[in-house]
Amino acid sequence: MTMILAITVAVTFAVSIYLMLGRELKGVAMGVFLLSHAANLTILAMSGSPVLSEPVETSSEGSAPVQMTSVDSPLMKDPPILATQYTNDQPLAQMVDPLPQALILTAIVISFGVMAFLLTLLVVTNRKTDTIEIDDLAKENG
Amino acid sequence: MTDHRIILLCVIPLVAGLVSIALINRKMLSRLVGILSYTLMLGLSLSLVLKITAAPDSESVLVSQMGGWTAPFGISIVFDSLSGLLICAAATVGLGAYIHSFSVINPRTERRYFHPLMQFLMFGVNLSFLTGDLFNLFVAFEIMLMASYALLTIGGSRQQLAQAYKYILLNVLASTIFLMAAGMVYGMFGTLNIADLARIVAEHEAANKELPAGFKSLAVMFLLVFGLKGAFFPLWFWLPDTYYTVPISIAGLFGGLLTKVGVYTVARLFPLIFASDGTSIIQADGTMLGGTSPIIQTILIVAAAFTMFLAVLGAVSQHHVRRILSVHVISQVGYMVFGIAVMTGNALAGCAFYMIQHMVVKCALFLCCGVMEKHAGTDDLDKLGGLLKRDWKLGVLFFIAAMSLVGLPPLSGFFGKMVIIREGFLEGQWYLGVIGLVTGAITLLSMLKIWSYGYWNPAQAPTANKPEAVKTSCKSAYGAIALLVGCALFLGLGAEPIYKVAFRAGEQLENPQHYITAVLGDEAYAKVDQLIEERILAESAEPASAGGSANTSTSGSPITMIQPEQEVHP
Repeated sequence: MTMILAITVAVTFAVSIYLMLGRELKGVAMGVFLLSHAANLTILAMSGSPVLSEPVETSSEGSAPVQMTSVDSPLMKDPPILATQYTNDQPLAQMVDPLPQALILTAIVISFGVMAFLLTLLVVTNRKTDTIEIDDLAKENG
Repeated sequence: MTDHRIILLCVIPLVAGLVSIALINRKMLSRLVGILSYTLMLGLSLSLVLKITAAPDSESVLVSQMGGWTAPFGISIVFDSLSGLLICAAATVGLGAYIHSFSVINPRTERRYFHPLMQFLMFGVNLSFLTGDLFNLFVAFEIMLMASYALLTIGGSRQQLAQAYKYILLNVLASTIFLMAAGMVYGMFGTLNIADLARIVAEHEAANKELPAGFKSLAVMFLLVFGLKGAFFPLWFWLPDTYYTVPISIAGLFGGLLTKVGVYTVARLFPLIFASDGTSIIQADGTMLGGTSPIIQTILIVAAAFTMFLAVLGAVSQHHVRRILSVHVISQVGYMVFGIAVMTGNALAGCAFYMIQHMVVKCALFLCCGVMEKHAGTDDLDKLGGLLKRDWKLGVLFFIAAMSLVGLPPLSGFFGKMVIIREGFLEGQWYLGVIGLVTGAITLLSMLKIWSYGYWNPAQAPTANKPEAVKTSCKSAYGAIALLVGCALFLGLGAEPIYKVAFRAGEQLENPQHYITAVLGDEAYAKVDQLIEERILAESAEPASAGGSANTSTSGSPITMIQPEQEVHP
């Protein structure tokens, strides 16, 4: 599953960079949009979510309600905020850490804002200069 | 120590921005709201800085946990000496640029949400200085960038539009990398809180345990992002063109503020977290001195050297006042990176001092350039001349600001450069020190170029406006420049009290204990202390048993015998 995600991220990145290197600003805007998707998928893959990776054996019965990372277990396998009362019915290994999803949600909103600004800028540019080609903009500017 | 007033530094500009959206057609009222907001921010940050300066070390970091969530789970807002100094300087610069804009900005531009955008920019900048959470830092950057995109294209001239795409695309790319890097930090450590990360790194250092694989590549990703925002070599190419096209007051604000945010984040995150290599030396007094990753330090050193030197050469070759000043922004960023690259407490203190003085001085120079443009209608040095005869007051203000930038002794730039370069020589980075000194000399050359072409040149250039007309229409601009130059003079003549705060900032960056305990609670650092003690015991026991009769004479004190595992400053 992680492998599929990694390939998806790589392809999305490649397509978005290709689009951003183009000469037409419409394509560039599309590239920007795809770029944020690639980043969000990366976070999903990196977050150590148990759905994506191999299930981890947990031994958290009777442990503190809040787990903190320390030098002994630097790599997080479990979500950091999980109360002990869940551990009996629902094993920790099957729970998804909510924080990366919150991060992705925030990132989506922000990229949406940037995208809206960029598209508006495209419209304004087209209205003022009658072109949305990078070369034309640079030429008449010089 | 908890103090919830610090969040007001973000709330004030946010509320002022929202209010001035409603007042968009009431020019005077929205200006009043803006000035009020900047003054409040300045007053509040000054009072907080005075408070933490008077407090003992253990209470010198103010913290506010958002929503009452305990530290690594919620978002912490942290106000320490470094953020305090920078917020004071940012509010001063903001106030100066804002007042200056009243006399030079086009009325049509002003109605296009200029006032709210100036406030939102400050909101983003203040939040980046205050936040103690990596993801929140990303959000703060985005707020700041959105406001800066809009300010960059305000008015919407063809030139601005063409340049805006470059700036926006580069920043979107950098933000994406930042976002991924933040996600990876979470995947690696399970936390995004800066204090918590510092704690984990300090524990690794105390145990001499290697950091997880991939930690260095994360550090490089962050360096790439912040280097782009801070215009380090070789990521500075976007800056001169961008600052050339915007209205001059906004250029002053950008030149003062935006690059410093990038430098600040490097100063905040690198000595504390990302430059670490997981080793440490226990010093004779039982404190721990963290090791520095040679790769990261080398990158910073190379970036500092090239940023300083190449950019100042670029500045000398330019022939427009605005371009000279913009390229100089980059060159001065080099000095700050120099301070960070040396990575001792004193060098970081010098970096903090240099940052605040540079914010004020650079903004003052841009604002002077705005009045020069009013006089002559252009900033081309060939077409300027005789400004000293026409407007001696502006000449005096410009001269003081320019010499502060160069760093002549009684003025502020000197004290910043002196501490940084001295530390460089002391710590064995003499080549950086030499480059810094040469760069200073070339800076003088380029400032004298503006001075002699623009002010001393006896030839009277064609005038766009009569001198009297400029003097009456630019009253607020003169006020703003005088305010900033006054601050610069104060920073130079009163460097000692400022440096007291700056040295504390440097200490806090070098030794994160107070930062960590302030955010996470007193027991958070206990494990580090325990690990250090264990190591002292282990290392003192080892040579005593192994050494046998050969070195019995040195076994008097257990601590003096500890051998450093690795050179800290290669």
